[in-house]
Amino acid sequence: MSGGEMEALLEDCTQCGLCREVCIVETLGGHSITSFLCGEEEYSSWLCSSCWRCQEVCPQGVDIHSIMMEKRREEEPPAGHESNLVNVLRFGYALPVDDSVNELRRLHGLDEAQLIPGEWVKILLQGQE
Amino acid sequence: MRTMGLFPGCLVLQRMPQYEKATKRVLREVGVHLENIPHAACCGAPLESFNDKWLHFAAYNLCLAERMGRDMVTLCGNCTNVLLRASAALDDTSLRLEINETLDKIGLRYDGRMEARHLVQLLVEHLDELREKVSRELPIKVAVTHPCQALRPSELARFDDPLKPQAMRRIVEAIGADVVDYDAEHDCCGSTLYLADERLGLEAGRRKLDSAGVADVLVDACGNCQLLLDRFQGLLGKSSGPAKLTVLTLPQLLGLAMGIDAEDLGVGPATTRALLGSSV
Repeated sequence: MSGGEMEALLEDCTQCGLCREVCIVETLGGHSITSFLCGEEEYSSWLCSSCWRCQEVCPQGVDIHSIMMEKRREEEPPAGHESNLVNVLRFGYALPVDDSVNELRRLHGLDEAQLIPGEWVKILLQGQE
Repeated sequence: MRTMGLFPGCLVLQRMPQYEKATKRVLREVGVHLENIPHAACCGAPLESFNDKWLHFAAYNLCLAERMGRDMVTLCGNCTNVLLRASAALDDTSLRLEINETLDKIGLRYDGRMEARHLVQLLVEHLDELREKVSRELPIKVAVTHPCQALRPSELARFDDPLKPQAMRRIVEAIGADVVDYDAEHDCCGSTLYLADERLGLEAGRRKLDSAGVADVLVDACGNCQLLLDRFQGLLGKSSGPAKLTVLTLPQLLGLAMGIDAEDLGVGPATTRALLGSSV
């Protein structure tokens, strides 16, 4: 995304602060992307519960999610998100996969999970930087 | 009996067989047979913050449901949200063409014929069948927590009020239980936040559980909610209420009201006794 595209996404924001009012992160004393939208410098684009309330209440229809995703690509990721990423790249799932998955399922009388073949994971990720 | 494809998502597939088996058992009662979608992978959510391959994963999963010829049932808010947004994005012809080039290498092709629907959306369409199947009165107070990401953005998730959702309340009322209001009903559980900041994530969960302490049981419909509110409850340091608030997934509660054996629902004997009292 170019600087111009980011500016366009921000164009409709009037800094009314409704997004920040409904944000659970802000309620708990943290500073999320809603603080950035309100013109604050102290925030993290990763501090988010992904509840989508901010975007839902925005009277201007600002695409807050896209702004946040773009900002994330500029910021160092927290360990929890990075570990999910690494697992998806390696296994095709957010959690590491081993034989215990089907042992647990069998214990509960569930069918064995047919997982994604490793080769297909590579194909889906082709060209990924 | 209608057959649908189950997309449990990573967490439920690998760590929460209780939620999956209760879902299958209860839906069978209302006339829906669930088959797991073979080779389903991560929905793509964890990739979105890093690159655009999340769309490839989401499209891949939707294709697998298409190949089965089944609409898809989801159990987590985040998976639902990602699959809905991917479906909408794939209406773009050039994006669809590009992704189909990749999918072609594994013999798949995205046509956009199948829909992803969250369990709550499916259940709220079967209220009459639910009522008919209730065989046991549950004289308990129930607090519900809504699968927030399955309700928003509302232009895509159109089955419930996006800010004051009612579907879960109506489902619990259909089995005759008493739904209670609590302050943090519409707040997020904190599970995704936990990935970025453990302290804040747990604080969100603690607030939710403290507030829901007016009920006998808190009911959720998302693997992430169940993870934080139930499995992590010991880490929360709740400030009030009973030592542990019982947290069940929605189909587990429905199954108990249907008189289904607690073991088939993945509900432990102590929890069952606490909720059903001497009627067990």
